[in-house]
Amino acid sequence: MANAQRNYFELFGLEPNFFVDQKDLSSKLKRLLQSAHPDRHAQGGSQQQMLAMQKTTRLNDAFAVLKHPVKRAQYLLQIEKDIDTTKDHTVNDPEFLMQQLELREELDNLTQQKDASALMDFADKIEMMAEEQETALGELFKQDDWDLEALKVSIYKLQFLHKTLHDIELAEDKILD
Amino acid sequence: MALLQISEPGQSTEPHKHKLAAGIDLGTTNSLIATVRSGKAETLADADGKHTVPSVVHYVDSETIEVGHKAKQQQSIEPGNVISSIKRLMGRGLADMDKIKEFSANQLVESDTGMPGVVLENGIEKNPVEVSSDILRVLADRAEETLGGELGGIVITVPAYFDEAQRQATKDAAQLAGLKVLRLLNEPTAAAVAYGLDTGSEGIHAIYDLGGGTFDISILRLQKGVFEVLATGGDSALGGDDFDRAIAQYLVEQANVDSGDRRAHQLAMIKARDIKEALTDTDTVEVNFLEWNGQMSRDQVEEIIAPIVDKTLLSCRRTLKDAGVKVDEVDKVVMVGGSTRVPLVREKVEKHFKVPPLTDIDPDKVVAIGAAIQANVLIGNKSDDDMLLLDVIPLSLGVETMGGLAEKIIPRNTPIPIAKAQEFTTFKDGQTAMAIHVVQGERELVEDCRSLARFELRGIPPMVAGAARIKVTYQVDADGLLQVLAEETTSGVKADITVKPSYGLSDDQITNMLQSSFSHAEGDMEARMLREQKVEAARVIEAVTAALNENGKELLTEQEYAAIQSSLEQLNQTSQGDSVEAIEKAIEIVEKNSNEFASRRMDASIAKALVGHEVDEI
Repeated sequence: MANAQRNYFELFGLEPNFFVDQKDLSSKLKRLLQSAHPDRHAQGGSQQQMLAMQKTTRLNDAFAVLKHPVKRAQYLLQIEKDIDTTKDHTVNDPEFLMQQLELREELDNLTQQKDASALMDFADKIEMMAEEQETALGELFKQDDWDLEALKVSIYKLQFLHKTLHDIELAEDKILD
Repeated sequence: MALLQISEPGQSTEPHKHKLAAGIDLGTTNSLIATVRSGKAETLADADGKHTVPSVVHYVDSETIEVGHKAKQQQSIEPGNVISSIKRLMGRGLADMDKIKEFSANQLVESDTGMPGVVLENGIEKNPVEVSSDILRVLADRAEETLGGELGGIVITVPAYFDEAQRQATKDAAQLAGLKVLRLLNEPTAAAVAYGLDTGSEGIHAIYDLGGGTFDISILRLQKGVFEVLATGGDSALGGDDFDRAIAQYLVEQANVDSGDRRAHQLAMIKARDIKEALTDTDTVEVNFLEWNGQMSRDQVEEIIAPIVDKTLLSCRRTLKDAGVKVDEVDKVVMVGGSTRVPLVREKVEKHFKVPPLTDIDPDKVVAIGAAIQANVLIGNKSDDDMLLLDVIPLSLGVETMGGLAEKIIPRNTPIPIAKAQEFTTFKDGQTAMAIHVVQGERELVEDCRSLARFELRGIPPMVAGAARIKVTYQVDADGLLQVLAEETTSGVKADITVKPSYGLSDDQITNMLQSSFSHAEGDMEARMLREQKVEAARVIEAVTAALNENGKELLTEQEYAAIQSSLEQLNQTSQGDSVEAIEKAIEIVEKNSNEFASRRMDASIAKALVGHEVDEI
């Protein structure tokens, strides 16, 4: 009769872990939706349809979190250590701060020049940095005793790179218009 | 209200009863209705064998209306009493009218729907929901006559790029026509269903849908009956009519027509359409328009319309990017909409995607056919496959923040249904109310986005500035329709919300409009409602009892079990009486008591889907 909601990993029949097989996750989502999606309950009453919508909403939400390395890492720290890393926090790493500034400046320049192909190269560069950072974060999660401070910093760095990628997309949109 | 009937996917709870359902393509220029008969989806024709119904309504007088071909014929005779292209006005406000070229400003007035009303020469005034509803009713009548029974439900297609207000207006129109909407389905998704099921095709598909008044591009992944929309884009105010308009503009210039001559402009539009259609098969065409006689070549017309086609390709590029798909990963391109018959469109699309576009299914009918297939599944007629449509929200939903900026709460192309919550706080000591402005669109400034609704959250307990925690939740359902809830969480006090949709009808308005059309049959209505309520009660009792017997003992505490059972007994007694409200109330109590049980049952069934499959695989 346990009333506690199952966490996002459990919804997908997974152990809480930073490493998630994306292909498996995506095929599981489809299987779960085959049974949960409101279209499968169209002949049920309004209450059943409402429940189906809520369950599907939660599955979609869970999928979005488990798919994204930053959100997944944040969620993992939340459920395992009760630490909220989604709010703003400062990183005391002068080298990283310097790099942050430089990257933002580069993005601003490229946006002003409206140079779509240079912007794409820039995106490739950031993407590579993000991949490296994700690997580093994975290494930290592999340790038996999590170094919480290091994890927080690593998540923040990865978050910054993803935010930059998002901003590049926005800049590309503007150039396309 | 079959509360707890959880049937296996694709399996009807009443396998022997074939229910009538239809798919409707409610287009800007033409509309169609289709249904599944003997396992095959097909569009339905009128007595003359014509499938398409021009989306044109002629309001002859306050009693008589004509819809379709007859109305279209009247268009050149008395254009002042004929309404066409009404879809362009759905969910729009008077302020949007500069973008909408079909209606002249003096025809339009403010109506109490927030949408413009159209005033005809004979003094009749109609709002867009009413006009659309008149078209839907004619289509539904055709289906009911052909099928010999009342429709149990319909699926109506909408452009994927339709925003919230446009979707809601479409649903309102169906409700006004007395039709039950099973689902609003995006047009490209419908086309993908028709196409995918017909050919068994898998992989990444681009659906290029250029209709009369709207353009949509959707990127889908088709895999084992699952139609997963990866991204969708387009322009809800761009279509083949813009080709006609560009050509008409040329004609008008050649013939030196006065810019205020509405009649001549309308004739030019009709002429332009003829020219466009003629040039699909031939290279040059003779043109006689008013004082001007001349020739137009295909090259010449292509030059006129090329900028419009290029605009659609720009949308394609952006949508591919959103989908995270590269152009060479697209396996197939499916063409939908009458305007894709234009050779230049096909050429340019082929060049862009580097694959020859597919036109196997009649591009005019493919959307209605897909809608009919989905309607047949949703009404509960057994379907052989585990067809499942996973769609996305086309435009970002946001909220106005300080300085007139729009902050995104749900970004575009998020799979639906979805819910997102955002926290806000008060900025003044003792503040007890807060205004929330819901917007839709991609732009940074609120004034560039579409205003969907303004909420006022009242009754916040007085606190110091910044102490209140106001949680605003956006919930988008499977139709792509939004519901917004607001709550002050620190005090646990649920504040009142007043919702005023910027466009569209309130529930009261719909009820009033429905009642005024049914008022003569009020007595019948009451008797019918009581009958329906009793049937409903019987169904609830049967369903909940069956669920209790199946796994009530397993999933419920004794107390919970007893509570549900006593509310069932109560309902059973109440349903012997003849008070509609009392029965309604008793059903509500059963639902309230059994909600958690239903939720646990559904969780168990969903979890089983995962486990069951894994066992299968071993």
